[in-house]
Amino acid sequence: MPSAIRPATPTTGITKLTNCRLVRGDSLVNGDIWVSSRTGKIVQSQRAFYDELIVPDETIDLGGRIVSPGLIDCQLNGAFGFNFSTLLDDTTQYGKKVKEVNKLMVQTGVTSYLPTVTSQTSELYHAVLPYLGPSGQQRLSADGAEVLGAHVEGPFLSPTKNGIHKVDVLVEAHSFGDLEAMYGQENITPGSDKPMPIKMITAAPERGAMTSLIPEITRRGIIYSIGHSEATFEEASAAVSQGATMITHLFNAMRPLHHRNPGVFGVLGKAESHEQPYFGVISDGIHLHPTTVKIAWNAHPEGFILVTDAMHLVGLPDGAYQWRNGEDIDHIVKKGSVLLLEGSDKIAGSSITLIECVNNFLNWSGTSIPQALKAVTATPAAMLGIQDTKGTLEAGADADLVIFSEERTESGLKLVVDEVWKFGARVH
Amino acid sequence: MRLIIRDDSDAASAYVANYIVDRIKHFAPTPAHPFVLGLPTGSSPLGVYRKLVEKYKAGEVSFENVITFNMDEYIGIPRDHPESYHSFMWKNFFSHVNIHPRNVNILNGNAPNLEAECVEYEAKIKRVGGIDLFLAGIGEDGHIAFNEPGSSLASRTRVKTLAYDTILANSRFFGHDLEKVPKMALTVGVQTVLEAREVVVIILGARKALALQRCIEQGVNHMWTLSSLQLHPHPMIVCDEDATLELQVKTVKYFKSIEKVALAQGFEQILPSKIRTGPAPETVIQAPREVEEAQSPTIVAPQPTTSRLLKASTPAAEYPVRSVSPDADLVPDRMASRIPDPSLTQRLTPGPEQSGHRVGAVGA
Ligand SMILES: [Zn+2]
Repeated sequence: MPSAIRPATPTTGITKLTNCRLVRGDSLVNGDIWVSSRTGKIVQSQRAFYDELIVPDETIDLGGRIVSPGLIDCQLNGAFGFNFSTLLDDTTQYGKKVKEVNKLMVQTGVTSYLPTVTSQTSELYHAVLPYLGPSGQQRLSADGAEVLGAHVEGPFLSPTKNGIHKVDVLVEAHSFGDLEAMYGQENITPGSDKPMPIKMITAAPERGAMTSLIPEITRRGIIYSIGHSEATFEEASAAVSQGATMITHLFNAMRPLHHRNPGVFGVLGKAESHEQPYFGVISDGIHLHPTTVKIAWNAHPEGFILVTDAMHLVGLPDGAYQWRNGEDIDHIVKKGSVLLLEGSDKIAGSSITLIECVNNFLNWSGTSIPQALKAVTATPAAMLGIQDTKGTLEAGADADLVIFSEERTESGLKLVVDEVWKFGARVH
Repeated sequence: MRLIIRDDSDAASAYVANYIVDRIKHFAPTPAHPFVLGLPTGSSPLGVYRKLVEKYKAGEVSFENVITFNMDEYIGIPRDHPESYHSFMWKNFFSHVNIHPRNVNILNGNAPNLEAECVEYEAKIKRVGGIDLFLAGIGEDGHIAFNEPGSSLASRTRVKTLAYDTILANSRFFGHDLEKVPKMALTVGVQTVLEAREVVVIILGARKALALQRCIEQGVNHMWTLSSLQLHPHPMIVCDEDATLELQVKTVKYFKSIEKVALAQGFEQILPSKIRTGPAPETVIQAPREVEEAQSPTIVAPQPTTSRLLKASTPAAEYPVRSVSPDADLVPDRMASRIPDPSLTQRLTPGPEQSGHRVGAVGA
């Protein structure tokens, strides 16, 4: 029968984005990308066409704009007025607050992140960590940004590199039992029914028996990150060979690079004995000098991860804000994007968004757009061991996308978040 | 035979793309009356695909009611292998236009029963009413699809062992590793191509010059399978200047002058309107067609006739050649009076019973 078949009327949940510049590795490639809101994944279009005889429900012409994997922030202390290190009288409210943050967070282009809890008492960890476990099992676009698990920054830190963390709550661990007691056993033990809340631990390897505990931490699927540490180059190298794969905010809260002992920074140097670790860098223009950021990038571009270390004050007006720090209530003074601990000149985290970090880095380093975006997509995904599902536009990965337009400003090129897609549906 | 010569490959590709778009538009395909397009792979048609995509994106053409049949596919490499013809077509054409996957036909080189696959492919072509336009490229040895030198000119869709030269030429796509190059392919036959109501061949570059020369200046020969085109009633070759290097100057001049005269006379379209609008049910189409034809001059003669050779093996009987032109006065006299071919007074196809069958088929 000579009959052409009309495009199928039943919906497939598939959207084709055409006329895109796709971030693929270190280049921008002209092409199309198919995403499915049914599976929440990026579709292997050729296979869908020939095998399932599928045509997209909708084709959207992006007019040559950039399509990047959704951004991943590995260190976010809070946002939109909510601090993850908060003990609420009614703990059920905590989960609600996290959900609110997720919905707002996604609008900034961050589609997944690690909510970060600073050095606190055991009581707070026990109370909040159950609410900070991975949130993406349902694969619901409407949930907004996805929590990949908690980053506990402390309290096994060096009292002399505490930054703004309260020295009183900093402790040493001598056995894995100390970690279980601190965070709550169920929060640090992989279970069968629910994903384990903790995804990353920042700790000073030279404190207590920490270095010897690293293998057990990583065995449980948790990333061990060196940070807030007095570690010498030798101590840092030992931690890396025990399984440390990350460094928390490189240069900040650690010994400066010394020509006779390069300290933690030294492990970024190529060595046959161990893999070079990943490292977080805050490119807010306050924590680090632009040149320092460039040096870090040049030392090991494949390990370079941009993080915000942002506090919950992002987007709030200037002034002094209450902040629970350990057992005390302190105040953080916000002046523009600068956050200082009241009565000191200590930097109290940042109030920058991740895309602003990318834009700063783009202009300081003169690197290409895909390379800059890699520092908030493919590299953090690889660090977290989720490179097949996040931080990539390959078929089969989660369809978390950010669509950028470019703006020329006085300070140079700027990427602007136009659209955000989560699990195959547009959410912003 | 029409031979269209353009200055460069771009212009030649643009000509072919324009031609195909015009054919589809004039055909006015519908779900019940689809345009059936035969398609090649390889480097020659790349420019044509690019331009077809541009035209689709510019809204100049729709492939919604177009059915495609590809010429060939390798045996023994995964369908989604980057060098498979499925991948080629997806990457260069199908992914960019509004063709429906159900209307796309490509031989399955991984079919459990390859022979059955070939038989079914031919049957499928028949079921959709035959191919309206087969676009083709050629190899340096003048082969069309994988019908390499020595292939029977009466061949049909079948399994084919590739010539060593072809395997060698293909090795550049497989990391120069002969082990990885497929040694066999499924391909439509020469006869399958010739059965299309129209064949358009794009030939680009000096490397194809000898093949072009053999195929149009010499006789029909199975060593240059494209030469079989001489037996087809409506063939057209579009080439660039480089591809004409081996042709005699007078051949080039002759074909160029024909095109010039034709243009000056206000028509480019050599096809009988029956072929231009496809073998649709008479009753449906008759009324509007008169209007269309009054607007677009059609050449009455020389009316192509099919060779006896082809007639004997039936396909010729399937060419719908119009018996009488209803708009003779729009056609330049001198051209029309050239050939008083007796066959023109006979209606070749479709016979009344065939038309009837079609009407039934459409309704089914
Ligand atoms: Zn810190």
